[in-house]
Amino acid sequence: MAPTHDPQLLKGVLSLLLLRLLDERESYGYEVVQRLRELGLTDISEGSVYPALARLEREGRVAARLVSSRSGPARKYYRPTAAGAQALAEGTESWLSLAAVVHPVLVRHPSAPPISAEDT
Amino acid sequence: MATSQTVLDRLRLERAVWTMDTRLQDLPRRSRINKRRELRDNLRLAAADVGARQAVRQLGDLRILAADYLAAEYGERTRRPSWSAAALTILGVEAVMTLLVHTGRAAFHAGITATNPQATGTYHWTGIPYLISDETFTYVHGTHTSVGGAWTPLVYVIMLGGAVVTGRLWRLHAAWRRQRRQRTLGATEDAAGGGA
Repeated sequence: MAPTHDPQLLKGVLSLLLLRLLDERESYGYEVVQRLRELGLTDISEGSVYPALARLEREGRVAARLVSSRSGPARKYYRPTAAGAQALAEGTESWLSLAAVVHPVLVRHPSAPPISAEDT
Repeated sequence: MATSQTVLDRLRLERAVWTMDTRLQDLPRRSRINKRRELRDNLRLAAADVGARQAVRQLGDLRILAADYLAAEYGERTRRPSWSAAALTILGVEAVMTLLVHTGRAAFHAGITATNPQATGTYHWTGIPYLISDETFTYVHGTHTSVGGAWTPLVYVIMLGGAVVTGRLWRLHAAWRRQRRQRTLGATEDAAGGGA
């Protein structure tokens, strides 16, 4: 069974993931969803990605351009702006810093029973 | 796997698109149209992969999606205007005024023809104070033509003022300022990025 991810945790890093993916290659909405699923976020819904893209566009972190498509109307491709690239760099640094603290705590083996507040 | 779309599939997608559109009435028209087109395109692509039913299901709750789109446009805590409330107010005032004018004229006409079904001559209706101007009815053997009976400027003030109040349209000013600031910021950063 595919792993599920906490929507709240995912929401916190979704913008960062989107900026990273778009920084690698400009994409349209559904393509971004597919790329996220290929990365392992199989339970991510389009309904969370599309508004997140709209939000990034409103914030000026991604720019959109219409590219004509053979299969239908023009398709909207997104790519990061300079502000988006800066937000990506800062967000990545912040995430790595947080993960460096959180990860060792979460994976360490509990060698001793927890100390209650009354014992101290 | 690409799947072919039947008429029913297309109807399913269109239903989702237009349901979303009705929930996005408070967005500026251009933004709403852009989102509608983008959503339709994405849905078609998803439907080609997983089928129309699943494509719509993968969107999740359309109410939440619409709320997220609105939050994306106006910000989470930003108070936003309501175009639908403004439009309803205008329609409401128009409906009430139309009813008033129709009822007033009908009552006046009934009064004239009740006393004399074959009335001939000119009759003056004073209208409704502050709302409907006076009207002159010219009768010839019980049938009439009329001049006047227009809405006063106050009605238009009520209509537009009501739309501004109920639609909280003054919030547009803050939204426009925010958009202009973001555009300026984006242009400056792009220029700086291009120059670097």
